[in-house]
Amino acid sequence: MGVPRVPAPVTSLLALAVTSEQIEHLHRRFKQLSQDQLTIRKENFDSIPDLEFNPIRGKIVHAFFDKRNLRQESDGLADEINFEDFLTIMSYFRPIEMNMDEEQLDRFRKEKLKFLFHMYDSDHDGKITLQEYRNVVEELLSGNPHLEKESARSIADGAMMEAASICVGQMGPDQVYEGITFEDFLKMWQGIDIETKMHVRFLNVDTIAHCY
Amino acid sequence: MEVVWAVGQVGAAWLALVFGLIIVPSALGISLGISEAYMWVLVKTLEWATIRLQKGAKKPQPQMPRTPTANGIIERDETPMEKEISLLHRADFEFSHIFYFCRKGFEAIVEDEVTQRFSSEELLSWNLLTRTNVNFHYISLRLTVVWVIGVIVRYCFLLPLRFTLAAIGIMSMIVGTTAVGQLPNGRVKNYLSEVVHLTCSRILVRALSGTIRYHNKENRPQKGGICVANHTSPIDAIILTNDGCYAMVGQVHGGLMGIIQRATVKACPHVWFERSEIKDRHLVTKRLREHVADKSKLPILIFPEGTCINNTSVMMFKKGSFEIGGTIYPVAIKYDPQFGDAFWNSSKYNIVSYLLRIMTSWAIVCNVWYLPPMVRKEDEDAVQFANRVRSAIARQGGLTELPWDGGLKRAKVKDTFKEEQQKNYSKMLVRNGSVG
Repeated sequence: MGVPRVPAPVTSLLALAVTSEQIEHLHRRFKQLSQDQLTIRKENFDSIPDLEFNPIRGKIVHAFFDKRNLRQESDGLADEINFEDFLTIMSYFRPIEMNMDEEQLDRFRKEKLKFLFHMYDSDHDGKITLQEYRNVVEELLSGNPHLEKESARSIADGAMMEAASICVGQMGPDQVYEGITFEDFLKMWQGIDIETKMHVRFLNVDTIAHCY
Repeated sequence: MEVVWAVGQVGAAWLALVFGLIIVPSALGISLGISEAYMWVLVKTLEWATIRLQKGAKKPQPQMPRTPTANGIIERDETPMEKEISLLHRADFEFSHIFYFCRKGFEAIVEDEVTQRFSSEELLSWNLLTRTNVNFHYISLRLTVVWVIGVIVRYCFLLPLRFTLAAIGIMSMIVGTTAVGQLPNGRVKNYLSEVVHLTCSRILVRALSGTIRYHNKENRPQKGGICVANHTSPIDAIILTNDGCYAMVGQVHGGLMGIIQRATVKACPHVWFERSEIKDRHLVTKRLREHVADKSKLPILIFPEGTCINNTSVMMFKKGSFEIGGTIYPVAIKYDPQFGDAFWNSSKYNIVSYLLRIMTSWAIVCNVWYLPPMVRKEDEDAVQFANRVRSAIARQGGLTELPWDGGLKRAKVKDTFKEEQQKNYSKMLVRNGSVG
């Protein structure tokens, strides 16, 4: 009977609505995934059956180890992450709170979109090129024998063209659209409400009296 | 010398008490009301403990969605994939699809429905057992004192008592069934074998301080039928045989279990398979079919999940049991985790430590519902029939249904299952005109 062992610096990372109870839940989940080690590696995510279905499973797991998401100065991929890093990634999926003001909401939204942007931009150069976009589409459609590679390509090309038209307007015949930068990305998602779609909300589990 | 004599006296008195108060009533099938009194005291204590915990809890947190049972820690959006993607639809195929999968992926990482079922259910309030004290912090001195008393009662009084009873129960089972097995086959033998099995079952249930409530006894499995139930622990079999006689189905083990199996099969036609025979599905089905065809034989007891699940859900039923034919008598078993967790997490505990945990819990309280018999319909195949039975059991016991295979405890997802899901997604894309 005592306070569970959650590392102290963690609580400073997460402001607002993440309670210590939720941190405990996540800590337990972390220990389950890491099999009681202090860090998680990519292989540990293999033990989740629900995740097997997900076509972009690779990208999601990758996102956990992406140093840009971990707010580290350097670039590239980390080999393993500890509980603090795990919580940092989880914080991208915080639901919005009632008491947020305009500026906070805006920052919130930008963070979530940045997370998504990193998922597309696999070579970390700050731009989503046609090839990178094609990769994502192919992954989403992977494993289905009925769809050929050509279809995946045409989808990607079509989407890229639309992106170009939104961001750059009419292009001249000799202009080449290099790739979607983060600003363009933000422009594309203006007006679409993603904050309510990209979050995981915890349920409140209190002690209640059992009466027989 | 005198010390030995005194100890002998105490031991004899102890055994006499146990015999008089527990064994004899078990044989006769009556209850002296001791367990009821014990349960009443227990319930009052736990209620008091819960109220103290509530008083000691921190101030209320900001309003968030609540759930009556701790069946999950995150709110899941159950909108089907189609609807959700169309809501975000802007052009043909867009970044929108990635949102859906991204979120699903995160939900799976925070908490997946399957792995959750292979660990013990979390309690909403502490039941004064150390092992369930994960969430709860130190509250007050009084609570600690009660907890200490609880430990002493459980380990120094209940454990030896239960151990004695279990030993007596198993011994009498072996001796009794061997004795009955010597008789020639006939009505007398069957009757005596039933008596022996029932008595030993009752003794073993008392060895666990079990309080079992049977509902709808009119639907009890008849001879020549097949009884299926959800599986939570090895005790399930004892819980069911406490109220009726069944022919057990299982693999031959070594050691103590093997001795029990060899003894009981002499008295009653249980179906024990050798390890090599289990692999041959046709052989298994054939033997079971022969047993069921003989209407004078006891109903067979099968647990189609194949492995122990933590009693919050019912997982996929293996279709083998439903291909045999005959009438199926479904039974739903739901344990009350407040008094003791019956779930056997075989990857975490071996059978001995599991039994030790069971014997040092407060009690095993469960409800058993006998459901009306079901027969396979003309146009149903074994899998659909299995799902129908499973739904009935889940609905009655208040458990959730999961389409997953209990084998996932140890193995990975089958590729065929994965491909199904991917096919669904691509079909939807084609339909929306995104492709081609």
